Amino acid sequence: MATEEVVNLHAEAHHDAHDEHHPETFLTKYIFSQDHKMIAKQFLYTGMFWAIVGAFLSILFRLQLGWPDTAFPFLETILGKWAEGGKISNDFYYALVTMHGTILVFFVLTAGLSGTFSNLLIPYQVGARDMASGFMNMLSYWFFFLSGVVMFCSFFVHTGPASGGWTAYPPINGMRDVAINKGSGLGLDLWIISMALFIVSVLLGGLNYVATILNLRTKGMTMWRMPLTIWAFLFTAILGILSFPALLAAVVLMSFDRLAGTSFYLSDIVVNGQLLSHHGGSPILFQHLFWFLGHPEVYIIIVPAMGLVSEVLSVHARKPIFGYRAMVFSLMAITVLAFLVWAHHMFVTGMNPFAGSIFVLFTLIIAVPSAVKVFNWITTIWRGNIRLNPAMLFAIGFVSMFISGGLTGIFLGNSAIDIPLHDTYFVVAHFHIVMGVAAFFGMFAGVYHWFPKMFGRHMNDTMGYIHFYGTLIGAYAIFFPMHFMTGIPRRYARFDSFEFANNFGGLNKFISIVAMIVFVLQLMFVLNVVYSSLRGRRMKSLNPYGATTLEWTTPIEHFHGNWAGEIPEVHRWPYDYATNGQEYITQTTPLSEDELAH
Amino acid sequence: MTTILGIIIIVCILLVIFYVARTVELTKELKGEADDTESTSNVQGYLMLGFLIAFFIGITWSSIYFIPKMLPAPSSVHGVEVEKLFNMTLFFTGIVFVVTHIVLFWFAFKYREKKGAKAYHFSHSNMLELLWTAIPAVVMLVLVVKGLVTWLSIFPDTKTLTKDTMVIEVTAQQFKWNIRYPGVDKDFGSRKIDTAHIGIATPDVWWKNELGIDWTDKASHDDFFADTLYLVKNKPVLMKLGALDVLHSFYLPHFRVKMDCVPGVPTTFYFIPNESTVEKRKLLSKLPEWQKINPETGLPKYATFNFELACAELCGRSHYNMQRYVMVVEQAEYDAWVLSHTPIYAAVEKAQNDALAKLNGSETSNAILSDSLKVAVDSQLVVELASNEVVLEK
Ligand code: HEM
Ligand SMILES: [Cu+2]
Ligand SMILES: [Cu+2]
Repeated sequence: MATEEVVNLHAEAHHDAHDEHHPETFLTKYIFSQDHKMIAKQFLYTGMFWAIVGAFLSILFRLQLGWPDTAFPFLETILGKWAEGGKISNDFYYALVTMHGTILVFFVLTAGLSGTFSNLLIPYQVGARDMASGFMNMLSYWFFFLSGVVMFCSFFVHTGPASGGWTAYPPINGMRDVAINKGSGLGLDLWIISMALFIVSVLLGGLNYVATILNLRTKGMTMWRMPLTIWAFLFTAILGILSFPALLAAVVLMSFDRLAGTSFYLSDIVVNGQLLSHHGGSPILFQHLFWFLGHPEVYIIIVPAMGLVSEVLSVHARKPIFGYRAMVFSLMAITVLAFLVWAHHMFVTGMNPFAGSIFVLFTLIIAVPSAVKVFNWITTIWRGNIRLNPAMLFAIGFVSMFISGGLTGIFLGNSAIDIPLHDTYFVVAHFHIVMGVAAFFGMFAGVYHWFPKMFGRHMNDTMGYIHFYGTLIGAYAIFFPMHFMTGIPRRYARFDSFEFANNFGGLNKFISIVAMIVFVLQLMFVLNVVYSSLRGRRMKSLNPYGATTLEWTTPIEHFHGNWAGEIPEVHRWPYDYATNGQEYITQTTPLSEDELAH
Repeated sequence: MTTILGIIIIVCILLVIFYVARTVELTKELKGEADDTESTSNVQGYLMLGFLIAFFIGITWSSIYFIPKMLPAPSSVHGVEVEKLFNMTLFFTGIVFVVTHIVLFWFAFKYREKKGAKAYHFSHSNMLELLWTAIPAVVMLVLVVKGLVTWLSIFPDTKTLTKDTMVIEVTAQQFKWNIRYPGVDKDFGSRKIDTAHIGIATPDVWWKNELGIDWTDKASHDDFFADTLYLVKNKPVLMKLGALDVLHSFYLPHFRVKMDCVPGVPTTFYFIPNESTVEKRKLLSKLPEWQKINPETGLPKYATFNFELACAELCGRSHYNMQRYVMVVEQAEYDAWVLSHTPIYAAVEKAQNDALAKLNGSETSNAILSDSLKVAVDSQLVVELASNEVVLEK
């Protein structure tokens, strides 16, 4: 077969290069590394940094929501003019929520999650010595890094950071020098530059992942023998490559409006009694472009988590994943449908009701493959012999969160019900549970599970258990009651201007307190990662979980090239658990006489 | 000081947990039990079961506690339909939620790792997979059909609306609502979006005609602005929505109405309020939650209940503060209310005359107030009509 030849050729070429043994300096080994394992660690650490920043911002605005009338003098100490007298100004409140959303959606759950695990696992699990292009891979990280630097700087400019929402809708974000919003000046310029750099990073990374998965599979690793993690990373990369350019186009056109006076998104705007010269554009156009990225983006976040969880559930239940092909086809369906539902974020923008109907149809159809995945995960652990370590607990927690949050999507996807629910706390509950918390759970499952592979050491399980129960209970305590705030508008800095919205003062305090506790727990996780990577219990066996996939055949010590000798050949699918009376059979084990190939 | 103390306490707690956790792991390792996952799996299995029970108790308790605090039942015809659809969806999703959670955590407990136990090889079953593709598909189909019937009924063709439909124009701007009624002739004066109409009305009076109302159109002469949105019970109303500066969203929570207000792109929303404010108060007076005394007014909560208009699309720093009351009244009361308003045209004319008179008298005055119109020359001030508070924009 042609593909196999290519694989072989490439493997050999790579091997030769490896024999030369370039001397590695500190700079090439740790900073400008082209090794996928090092780049994965870079993404992980950068992602953790941003997670702490993003979560800290949420603690600040939860203080405002919990105690809108209380002054906290320390806020003035750290925020200066943005919190005069210890009370967060409205301008800065909106900057906080905007940056919280941007950082967590893009920097943490897109780059931090995909960047870490696609990089770590794609070469390992398909049996490649590295990514198709190590150089592009390095660039991908450094564009991400740069984009973070720019975003970070935007906190310190005189306008404050962007404050018009993570969705950056015009016209509030579409006019630069019109005094309608503080953060829409320099702060938003930096936001746009940062996003543009970020998109470059996603595209470089994504193309590399696709190229590696399609071309660098080892001998015998057919597509249908790839672990679900790899399928998930493949679909994630495809989603990213096809959707992020729409965001780039959207923000570039917006920059023209802002800087060159064009009117892509602006028309008939009156500010301070003055008619601006913009004419003929439509703010709704931006929303179409934004959500053409925005909806696939939420799947870019959840699909890799789904992949990680599928793998972790199967390994620790000691059972094959149930319905492997159905899992792949449902991912495929989700990937395709993800491009056909974007306008469910726009049901009340005045769109044609008939057009809305089409989006209702596709949106609710997406629930079907999602449901199939849930049922298959549950069946995977049925009659297993489940090792309940922190990785497995987080994987089970993921399934719970995905169910809870996915079900509320069915309400929102039905346009008639969305009329009262849109832009209220019901939506906040929905997407934090299904995307925020679930994706974090998938990421935690991945970190606990593959930590030995990354660092050659184990994490501290006791802290892992505390982390898990604290986060599970805390996350539900924070987000479940938000369903009762159905009808209360989101993005309100305080609720007492309205009788109908002012009923939940006690709940808001409760949520804020739990949020702080959960935040501290996450610091404990970071501590665990940092400490264990340096001092944790050493990994003794190559394959501590009895897993079947290729990454557990590589040596504990990392070196560029992954396998010292030949890359092993693959003979079977990755889910031969509890087969033929054996607990597990690795992918590299040749078939026995009477066995059929899978 | 308290901050530093707080941080120190948090760090201490973290360190304590850290050292305890480290000791636990180290002793395990010394005892050679580090790879013994079975005993921990056993404990974790029970904890998962415990979580399941606690979770359901938490949900039940919070539902009992919070549901009475939620928005009251809808007060519009379509709102009732939407509520039905919501409840139907809640029914289906509720079943799935409860069943899948019980099964998930029960399996985690039941099949926790045991020495010598073997996992059961079960890699696929076409029957099962077909079943749980088909059932959700059918349920979704039911929800889509029901949903779309409701959805399409909410947006009738505006050309076929009956004569008795009331039309009200609401134009949002940072951070207020301009609520314009067509007056006794039931016809709006047209608006012209150009610099000849928008901006300073005359050099002497700084009334910014931000809506661009065309005074040469006679229909405009009886149009008036209101600071409360008045609706008539059981009378269909078509809201004509727009915005001047940024996106806003016209949100009437009690009527389940929401529609974005978009600069340059007009939108509409049609609905029928079916409970008057007075009736709603009476209905609410039967609910214990609403009988509670509001400490600020000293009255029961239902007695001061009002429908409200809010903004639901992020529009800037005072987005949370774009409040207006909505009154639903009987026709007669509405008619009287209409008559009590001075049309904009008359108000502006009067203000102009006043201004001219004043200017002729004294050159120094540059801010003139008339009863129905506050006029400010300072361009930093947003001019507010009638009794609305002035929003200062610095
Ligand atoms: C069962 C499948 C799902 C359905 C039917 C669904 C439906 C919807 C709908 C209709 C909205 C718009 C609500 C509104 O703004 O009024 C929405 C919002 C959202 N959904 Fe989902 N959803 C589903 C699953 C997911 C998943 C898996 C994720 C992410 C992993 C996700 C993330 C989000 C986010 C982030 C938003 C809010 C964005 C914003 O307005 O800031 N949803 N969902
Ligand atoms: Cu979406
Ligand atoms: Cu607003």
